[in-house]
Amino acid sequence: MHPLRHPRNAIFVGILFVVIGFVYWFVPYVGGWQLDYAGVTMLAALGIAMGLMAYVLIAGSPNE
Amino acid sequence: MTGDAHAIALQEHSPVAGVAHDERGGISNPVLGMILFITSEVMFFAGLFAAYFNVRANAPAWPPIPPTVTEELAEHFHHLKAEPWLALALTVILVLSSFTCQFAIWAIRQNDRTGFIRNIAVTVILGIVFLIGQGYDYTQLGFGLADGVFGTTFYTLTGFHGAHVFGGVIMLSVLLYRGMAGQFSARHHDAVEATSIYWHFVDVVWIALFSTLYIL
Repeated sequence: MHPLRHPRNAIFVGILFVVIGFVYWFVPYVGGWQLDYAGVTMLAALGIAMGLMAYVLIAGSPNE
Repeated sequence: MTGDAHAIALQEHSPVAGVAHDERGGISNPVLGMILFITSEVMFFAGLFAAYFNVRANAPAWPPIPPTVTEELAEHFHHLKAEPWLALALTVILVLSSFTCQFAIWAIRQNDRTGFIRNIAVTVILGIVFLIGQGYDYTQLGFGLADGVFGTTFYTLTGFHGAHVFGGVIMLSVLLYRGMAGQFSARHHDAVEATSIYWHFVDVVWIALFSTLYIL
């Protein structure tokens, strides 16, 4: 199996969305603009969901 | 190498060892389906949490205080956060049930059917106790679904979670029935693995709910 196809790497897909969520919160926070807590929550949850999806796609594939 | 031995060898060297497999080394279909279902459930609860945080961030005070709500309602809202002891007890019960569910998984992986049935039965009982406790909590809160945005978000979040616990108890009861009928073994227990993943998810959601609604 190629090292990139290891299921543990799915976490990086999730982290990507969490980082985007953090930036989406951090930029308005520093700039003093309106904070969109709903959007931040959805992006954080999307990180979990996408991480699971990536896990399923990698780990669900047969080792052939 | 026989077909079974080949399948076991694949499982032992699989990067997803510990999760139910199909014979080619991937995740079994029931577990795969459950993980996909939980992915959608994550986004479902995310929508509810997002609505809650948005409402809370835009409220002048949280929990709402007069003149937004009456003195009596404000007192009930305050009481929810000041004395969350019943909800804390329910949290302990649900966390305990996750442990017993996992003990059941470990038992059936060792082909210990008695241990599996005992632990699943305890998990079902703890789930039912949680539901009864939540129902009792609702009768003591002093506010309802229609009592402002606080009441609406509180009952929507906890109500949908309670519905998921109810669904989980039904799934666990089916496992208990099937276990007592001798339908599970160390090699054939995909339904148990899938249900346990769901039950752990429901537990994690409750911890997030309890932290958000009762503590933060």
